[in-house]
Amino acid sequence: MTNRWEKMLNIDRRWLYLLIAIVVIVPFFIRMGLPVVPTQEVRSVYDLVDSLGPDDAIFIGWDFDPGTEAENMPMGVAVLRHAFARHVPVFITAVSPLGQGLAEQGVASVFDTRVPGNFVYVPWAEWESVREAGYVGRDSLESAWEAAGNPLPEGARGWVFEGVDYAHLGYLPYFSLVILGMGTSIANQYPTDAYGNNLHDMPMLQAHKNLREVDLAVTLAGSSACMWWILYGTSRVGLPVAFGVTAVMATDYFPYIQSGQVVGMMGGLRGAAEYEVLETEGGYTETTGKAYRGMDVQSLAHILIILLVILGNIAYFAGGFHKKTALKSRR
Amino acid sequence: MLKHLELLLLVAALPFGTAMAQTASPGDPGEAAAAVTADSLAAIPTVEPEVAAPPEVGPATVLTIQDFPNDAGDHLILSFCESPNPECVLGYLVMRRTPGAPDSLGGQWAAVENVPAGDPTEIVDGYDPDFLVVPGTQYEYRVDVLTIDGRQIEGSAVAADFTPRGELFHTGKLKVLAGCIVFIGLIFYYFKKAQMGHELYLRPIPGIDAIDEAIGRATEMGKPILYVPGLSSIEDVATIASLTILSRVARKVAEYQTPLRVPNRDPIVYTVAEETVKQAYMEAGRPDSYENNSVYFVTDSQFAYVAAVNGQMMREKPATNFYLGMFWAESLLLAETGSLSGAIQIAGTDAITQLPFFITTCDYTLIGEELYAASAYLGREPKQVGAVKGQDACKGIVMAFVTIGIVLSIVDIFTGGAADPSKSLLLKLQGLVDVTSLE
Amino acid sequence: MKRNVPLMIALLGGLLMIIQYFIPHQASQDVFNYYTEWAPLVGAFALILGVGSITRVHVHKIRARAPNWPYSYAVLLPLYLMPVFGLMLPVIMGGGTDGPGFFDFMYSRVQIPIQATMFSMLAFYIASAAFRAFRAKSALATVLLVTAIVVMLAQVPIGDLLGRWLPDTGLWILRFPNLAAKRAIELGVGFGMLATCLKIIFGVERGWLGGAGE
Repeated sequence: MTNRWEKMLNIDRRWLYLLIAIVVIVPFFIRMGLPVVPTQEVRSVYDLVDSLGPDDAIFIGWDFDPGTEAENMPMGVAVLRHAFARHVPVFITAVSPLGQGLAEQGVASVFDTRVPGNFVYVPWAEWESVREAGYVGRDSLESAWEAAGNPLPEGARGWVFEGVDYAHLGYLPYFSLVILGMGTSIANQYPTDAYGNNLHDMPMLQAHKNLREVDLAVTLAGSSACMWWILYGTSRVGLPVAFGVTAVMATDYFPYIQSGQVVGMMGGLRGAAEYEVLETEGGYTETTGKAYRGMDVQSLAHILIILLVILGNIAYFAGGFHKKTALKSRR
Repeated sequence: MLKHLELLLLVAALPFGTAMAQTASPGDPGEAAAAVTADSLAAIPTVEPEVAAPPEVGPATVLTIQDFPNDAGDHLILSFCESPNPECVLGYLVMRRTPGAPDSLGGQWAAVENVPAGDPTEIVDGYDPDFLVVPGTQYEYRVDVLTIDGRQIEGSAVAADFTPRGELFHTGKLKVLAGCIVFIGLIFYYFKKAQMGHELYLRPIPGIDAIDEAIGRATEMGKPILYVPGLSSIEDVATIASLTILSRVARKVAEYQTPLRVPNRDPIVYTVAEETVKQAYMEAGRPDSYENNSVYFVTDSQFAYVAAVNGQMMREKPATNFYLGMFWAESLLLAETGSLSGAIQIAGTDAITQLPFFITTCDYTLIGEELYAASAYLGREPKQVGAVKGQDACKGIVMAFVTIGIVLSIVDIFTGGAADPSKSLLLKLQGLVDVTSLE
Repeated sequence: MKRNVPLMIALLGGLLMIIQYFIPHQASQDVFNYYTEWAPLVGAFALILGVGSITRVHVHKIRARAPNWPYSYAVLLPLYLMPVFGLMLPVIMGGGTDGPGFFDFMYSRVQIPIQATMFSMLAFYIASAAFRAFRAKSALATVLLVTAIVVMLAQVPIGDLLGRWLPDTGLWILRFPNLAAKRAIELGVGFGMLATCLKIIFGVERGWLGGAGE
């Protein structure tokens, strides 16, 4: 009998890997659509973005690498959609060259015409004529643009004018020092955006010259880069910061929420799914997105891991290994 | 802020828009542009042909100009008195100039701040990167009123009777200074005490005791030792602590003639680690045993680094793996692969979230500050041991404050302080020691 | 000399930065700004050393025909070719002036999937580690185990289905006991850092000097 338990405890790891692979893949084909109830931590971020408008501005820091893309990307896309829907100007930054590429992918998914409810991107150079005729405010810009023979495509949710609604600042090395510098001037740190446009000319840079004039920074991080926003943004110029971090990291930052240094937090895929649910409830999206779909996978994977822990313990105690110092073999 | 910009643009565009409205006619080549401009200015009240006399609007006046406290002399606080006719006011323009300076150096009046009507009338000048306040410069201010019918009514100029200067001490950081003095003092006190020969007890840490045993195992098996000094940069204290331990490990490794592998993610850490290991071989009297390629840089990409190190673990099967320093999501990837390869593993990190992963997969784990204390344990130098005792004493003080806080919050429940902040003893204590608002 | 000069620099630099923190004056800010300008430069030059190191290690492997030496080509070729694709041949290798170049292709079709794959392996490793190592060996370990199960269930929608109490309990654990434990460890880490920094400034800790400190 003992042998059987020992065999079970020393099972080839590849069987466990196979089980995980199955529970990760199957829910993509069989949707369960389990309910997601938003937590206060995510609701705080949503409510703050929801209270902003064209006079305000937010930063979204694409502070992650491809490794944590699955968790961080849906958060970024959700916040971006929300901000664009409310015409809140969005600055995008990245702490690594890979992050810049991911930011471009994230933004592109919001502009994707194949997805209903997309936003239509108007690059800086394209609306030059309207700009030269005299730019006053976002609403008048939109009507001027449409009056100039640019109707909003069917199914699209709205316009995103580069330089007014959106500026992709891109990657700069030693980002902690960049945040420090942006406390004085954003354009001094980034003379041009990621596409080489002069930032000094952009209306959103004239209205929001430094981090003091920014209303929120959402940092999507897979590392401690999120702390730089607190150290150099919140502490120095009072910038409100919200975190979008991986599930593993989320437990680290509860002290900062309690102390009020962080507005709110999206923890892992679940946090992103909660934001998507809130957005759908708020009428900003028709349906929830990738994160919500991922909840089925995560639910099954968690259940499997719990079962494995229970099974491991049953074998451990039934086999009487708790009385011995070690198992016979290590694999 | 955008509304501030709109205010400015409105002022700038008003004559232009009016001129366009007067000159543009249907079919004009400039029609499209004019239409856009007219559209943009839709919010502006149109100028009636028969203009009634504009209402009289009183000016705003500068009340005080003060130096901003605890700064580098690059900010000024200005307060002004609003116009006596607030119903006619759209906003205020705070104008500034440097009397006697050439135009290029701020001799001309420039609008440094837009204050919409109803906003606070005390502003801090110097935050706008386009209109910085230069220390030691005397400025002159006036506040202009922007009326809802598009006029700009100049206020009278008031010169500051001082020049802004930077302070030599930030008075808001007094509490931090006091805390620093206490903590640094305690650490020095224990430095001294240890140096004077006082026996200071350090509780045993199994992970540190196991280091020699783990090196011995690799030597017996004739397999290499893998030492990962964390994935952070040299500024990270965990990295520095790790390099100190690396020095000891390398010396032992040199004595036993065991191969050592130190892959690095940060180029500066790599150079320091290389020097550390070379020197350790010299001290062990085996400089010729040092292999040039035992310390090397891999990549600064987190997961590419993990792939390289994991590959090495599976190919070379090191007998002992050390993971000491700062780790993020890669901790379990490294440690589980090491466990798979059958190595004895000793980990140590101050990354709290990664500790569970190391604890489940490694044989020994140094938790948080145990990593910093490792050099004291390994060397037993009096000053190092004194520093550990000093930081323990600091923790004792914080624990005392936490205990007092708990007691006071319980007392507050009974005395009504929990409901009424003015009676709260806990809040009074917090007011005394609170440093959270500081940088 | 090799030892004393760096120690003096560390002492003066460390004291200067401590004092600078308390002085808001322009001169003090200038010192800080100088530091922030210099730090990236030092890092950039060190990267050259790093690239030199990885080249040396792998060239050595190829020359010595060490085990698995062909893999060294897999390291060296992308290391030197990617900058060439990015800087010198951004268009030639791609789909003309409008299409994404070869660099973009390598980035989005090779680098991103590889990195994502590495991180995804965590799911497999966590399952394996949990099965092997998570044991209710003692009363404390049992508490830890039960807590972990509650938090895991609370983090997924299935927890909501089992009853509202489950996610609420999970959140309570994260917001209070977890927070208390984090604070305790962070305080210890903070004081450890303070002590280590003082040891570096005053020359007690010399590991950062490489070998020169010993």
